[in-house]
Amino acid sequence: MSSYPHQDAFVAARSAEWRAVEGMVITGGPLYRRPPSEIARFATLYRNLCGDLVHARSAGYTSDLVAYLDGVAGRAHGALHRAPPFRARAFVDLVTTALPRALRRQRRFHAIAALLFFGPLLALAIATVLDPTTAELVLPRGQLEAMSQMYADELSGRSEGADAAMAGFYVNNNIGIAFRCFATGVLFGLGAVFFLVYNGLSIGATVGFVIASGHGHNILTFICTHGVFELSALVIAGGAGLQMGYSLISTGGRTRLGSIRAQVPDLSTTILGAAVMLAIAAGLEAFWSPSSIPAPIKWATAALSASLLLAYLLLAGRGPTEQAEARR
Amino acid sequence: MDDAPLDTSTEIETPEHIRFRYQLAGPARRGVAYLIDLVIRGAVFGVLALLLYFTAHGLDFEEATTGVLLIVLFLTEWFYYVLFESLWDGRSPGKRMCGLRVIKEGGYPATFADIVVRNLVRGADFLPFGYALGLLVMSADHRFRRLGDLAAGTMVVVEEHAALTEPLRIKPAPTPAELATLPARVILRAGELEAIELFLRRQGALHPEREEELAELLAPTQAQRLGVRYQHAGRFLALLFHLATQRGS
Repeated sequence: MSSYPHQDAFVAARSAEWRAVEGMVITGGPLYRRPPSEIARFATLYRNLCGDLVHARSAGYTSDLVAYLDGVAGRAHGALHRAPPFRARAFVDLVTTALPRALRRQRRFHAIAALLFFGPLLALAIATVLDPTTAELVLPRGQLEAMSQMYADELSGRSEGADAAMAGFYVNNNIGIAFRCFATGVLFGLGAVFFLVYNGLSIGATVGFVIASGHGHNILTFICTHGVFELSALVIAGGAGLQMGYSLISTGGRTRLGSIRAQVPDLSTTILGAAVMLAIAAGLEAFWSPSSIPAPIKWATAALSASLLLAYLLLAGRGPTEQAEARR
Repeated sequence: MDDAPLDTSTEIETPEHIRFRYQLAGPARRGVAYLIDLVIRGAVFGVLALLLYFTAHGLDFEEATTGVLLIVLFLTEWFYYVLFESLWDGRSPGKRMCGLRVIKEGGYPATFADIVVRNLVRGADFLPFGYALGLLVMSADHRFRRLGDLAAGTMVVVEEHAALTEPLRIKPAPTPAELATLPARVILRAGELEAIELFLRRQGALHPEREEELAELLAPTQAQRLGVRYQHAGRFLALLFHLATQRGS
């Protein structure tokens, strides 16, 4: 015990360095922007500080000193092991390679999400066309008739102001739905399953009812272009939710939390990608879909967008680096 | 977690085998931070709405204004935290004011992907209303993590800005007569030393009778152990502290 110096002597000898670390952590921005000599000095100071912390603990110095050293060491540790700074390049990578790769890696979840969404959608749409009262199982009659009324006239364009208002509505509403679809996947995937099926059913009921009322051409022409992006984004957001839920169930030898955490990079990529797709969809839905552009052009655009999107998801980011990533 | 103390702190060990202790942020403190952020988000939205209203009033932009505002609403709802927590190393304005920070469980700063996931899973924490599920999960977790934190592997800690305090001095300084009644060397366990220190730091703020009452909780066992008698329990503990911290000098 007697090999430890007295606390006061220890503080007097070392506190200048501690204050230097404090100063470097609190003032003057991230470490990587400093001159190299200062970075090297910081590493040394940090190691000394850690040594002092261990020393102070084992020497039984008073708790306020240990708490102080704990705090400074914690912040210095944070400064030293800083998260990589955000670069615009990361966003370019996300769109060009990371998103399609993540989707291909997790394709089974996105395939299941597509089934859970499009299955009920098609089933209810067909059932409603055959017998319009089927739609009332999902949505109230009044709402269905209001929707049908909306599509009774040929699309003739709106004022630009009204278009912008709808763009805001679609961004807020649709991306919100997709994000909720993803978030509730954390409840062992149940939330994602619920929202996928529920949204599939209500869209199916609406489209089916409008077709049964004889305005099928109008609603399908309206939906076709933005639907390519909107519906696929909803599916991949739900797929990411399923992936998150499944990782809690089948952990592959990890703890449940460890298993979910291993998915974080893919989850983040997928959900941000879905948000980008939904923003594109909202723009189209507000400005392109309701315009008076002739139906054949809209259908051609829809077909073109669908093929481009498919080609992008299947082909973008392929190559040796993807295989290297997959092996990791 | 064998020797984990019964308080809201958590210990992490770095690759250098250094252990730090972090103070965890509980629901109350995080709730306050959330409310501050809510007010800021509301204010941003309100100011923008007023500005747009006055600039667009009378023009044909009124519907467009609605559209812009809805987009702002969306951005403040879903990306406010993502923006600030990634720019400010895990701190939103509310967290900053409350001295909170989001970090990874290993003590590392949270990465952009972590922040995206923890803030989008917010949608599940909010269910069925008012963060009920998030609070429930938080109260069952030993690190006060909500679903978003669990998924992203993050936790919210209180940043301590403890200053280097002046060393504790015994006032008035021990007299040789007082010291003569005690053994020359006293060894206290770390827990005992800490308890005495915390007591001595509070001494000035306590009523003398209460002070004596508190000191009486610890003094008799120490006196018995050392085989000595004392007159004032508080003074006795101060002397013990003085002797115990004289080591090595």
